[in-house]
Amino acid sequence: MRILLIEDEVKVASFVKRGLVAERYAVDVADDGRRGLDLAMSFQYDLVILDLMLPGLDGTGVLKRIRAKDTKVPVLILTARDAVQDKVTNFEAGADDYLTKPFAFAELAVRVKALLRRGPVNRASTVRLRDLELDRLSQQVKRAGRRIELTIKEYSLLEYLMSNTGRVLSRNMIIEHVWDESFDGLTNVVDVYIRHLRKKVDDAHECKLIHTVRGVGYSVRDESEA
Amino acid sequence: MNTRSLRFRMTTSYVGLLATALLLFGATVYYGLERHLIGQLKESLVEQARTIAEELLVDAHVKGDQYVITEINESYDPEVNGRFIRVTRQDGHVLYHSASPRDASFDVSQILPPTPEALEHGYPPGVIGGNRPILLQGLTYVTPNGERYLIETGSSNQPIARELRTLRLTLALGIPVFILVAVFGGLILVRNLLDPIRAITEQAERISSANINERLPVVHTGDEVERLSLSLNRMIERLDEAIQHISRFSADVSHELRTPLTILRGELEAMASQRPGDAESMDMVGNALEEIDRLSHIVDQLLVIARLDAGQAGIEHVPMDLGELAVSTAEQMHLMAEERRISIRFAASKGVHVNGDPLRMKQILVNLLDNAIKYSPEGSWVEVRVQAQQDTAVLTVSDNGIGIAPESLPHIFERFYRADRARTRTTGGIGLGLSIVKSIVGAHEGHISVQSREGEGTSVRMELPLRKQQVTQDSGKLDAADDRIVQDFSLANDQKIAS
Repeated sequence: MRILLIEDEVKVASFVKRGLVAERYAVDVADDGRRGLDLAMSFQYDLVILDLMLPGLDGTGVLKRIRAKDTKVPVLILTARDAVQDKVTNFEAGADDYLTKPFAFAELAVRVKALLRRGPVNRASTVRLRDLELDRLSQQVKRAGRRIELTIKEYSLLEYLMSNTGRVLSRNMIIEHVWDESFDGLTNVVDVYIRHLRKKVDDAHECKLIHTVRGVGYSVRDESEA
Repeated sequence: MNTRSLRFRMTTSYVGLLATALLLFGATVYYGLERHLIGQLKESLVEQARTIAEELLVDAHVKGDQYVITEINESYDPEVNGRFIRVTRQDGHVLYHSASPRDASFDVSQILPPTPEALEHGYPPGVIGGNRPILLQGLTYVTPNGERYLIETGSSNQPIARELRTLRLTLALGIPVFILVAVFGGLILVRNLLDPIRAITEQAERISSANINERLPVVHTGDEVERLSLSLNRMIERLDEAIQHISRFSADVSHELRTPLTILRGELEAMASQRPGDAESMDMVGNALEEIDRLSHIVDQLLVIARLDAGQAGIEHVPMDLGELAVSTAEQMHLMAEERRISIRFAASKGVHVNGDPLRMKQILVNLLDNAIKYSPEGSWVEVRVQAQQDTAVLTVSDNGIGIAPESLPHIFERFYRADRARTRTTGGIGLGLSIVKSIVGAHEGHISVQSREGEGTSVRMELPLRKQQVTQDSGKLDAADDRIVQDFSLANDQKIAS
């Protein structure tokens, strides 16, 4: 999978590239709009990550030109501008996703993955991790064969964590996914729900599956495997 | 009608002036005409007497008394013409005495024989008699042969009185009608004159920071109104520039602050995930990441406030049920309340509709509920109340928590204000929640206020304009038991997934 990263801020480009390479993507970096557009036109990319404030040609201009060529490549906008109008303009210009700086790398990784597997997503109806089993159809959760009663929110939270098994999800990602933007900043909601979820899922078991990553967020993974 | 309005004041003052002028004019015309008519009548009476003297009496001693009588009768025919004529010689002999007029306009019987005084000197015109009065004058005449006559002529002043009465009536009816016409004409005239000002006012009311690119209507009349609209437009232009400056500034700030935050965050995350070190350094990295989160959050919130206050936040205005929103938001937050064994009570009327941005409205509720839960002692309650009061939707969130000190109360909506620094640190706030709430309420043309007693509790009251067409007769009545959604989330367990 080949990704084009158009970002003029060298340091941002550097850690994003490192992170994506670590996720086993091939990454090309362009540090201005014109060069980025040239690359996008010359090579077949699977994804373009685009900053908006660029020297040469701004991000929206690049996006419009890419779309004028009728290229189907998914474009993820990565920008410090979070005004509603900016988002609307760029979605209208053909952006597929929009991520505001500063972002957790985990969030970028999740979104990149989602954009790359666009199209018919084959979501298994059952997700398993060790002895934890989540059935999306019946919305039932079992641990070691025993049913766990969850509230709707707890279920959504666990479902989101398990869909991204092994990844660290930031509190903001969880809020936006499980709650909505109006809970922005109220990250202790997540902590409270995680605590409840832990009580139901992990407390009775030796092997803990829900983990806190200090300063980043939460993840569900089986550490005994690693 | 507003008695302080220009329209009212201009109309009343000029109508007042006009009425005074009309009354003065009417009085002048009336008394002038009366004087003129009476004067004319008097003059004609004297003239008549003089003619009788100079044309008939001069020859009386030659042609005899009978000649005079016949001549007077023929020339003046006083009974027909409604005149009184009496000619008396100085010795008291009445030479001629006309009878009562045929139209009975005066009564001859009330005219007394002339006094010796009158016979000697005559007398000026004067009115005598109460019933059917007569204007009478006496003129003395001495013939060339030395005989002295008193010629009295008289006439009823009734025709004059009649004419004056007509004039009086005309004035009494005409002046009010005239004033009435002037009032309405004036109102219309002033309204036409003030119409451009009203248009300017209405448009100025509509212009807010959200549609500051609009301008006031300019009427090209070349007068003061045109100047007013032009200078107001220039003022709006300057405001527009200032607001654009703010929004440019917030875009710049977001870029300049967020880029370094992004780098910091990215590098630290990479450090944490790619080269995990000992527990102590991981803890330090975690700490730094948490602070970056906090900083990012502050930047976000400040920008949100700046945009809301500048009207650049793109607030939607969709109809929604405030009570339903409150219930659903509280449902989402009940676990946080449960953690502290706090029950959320509800008293929400149905059908309290407002126009607003659902996400922002919810943000208000989330913030208010979060505060109420945070600052309430364990095991207490938080109450949410939604009701309609006339044309206002009122939402109150009350608790019986620690309350706010009176000296802090005026400041709690200020950015970064903390009533109790130590305490807020532990609860994780950044001191912007209530500022955001206030800015959102402001962007919805609402009002928010707080009442609090230290140690007893706090009550936050938000007022928003009620959505008009939704006001039905029984909406908003809290006392109607049927209309009430009462929920106590501490008792009702969270919805269980269907088993």
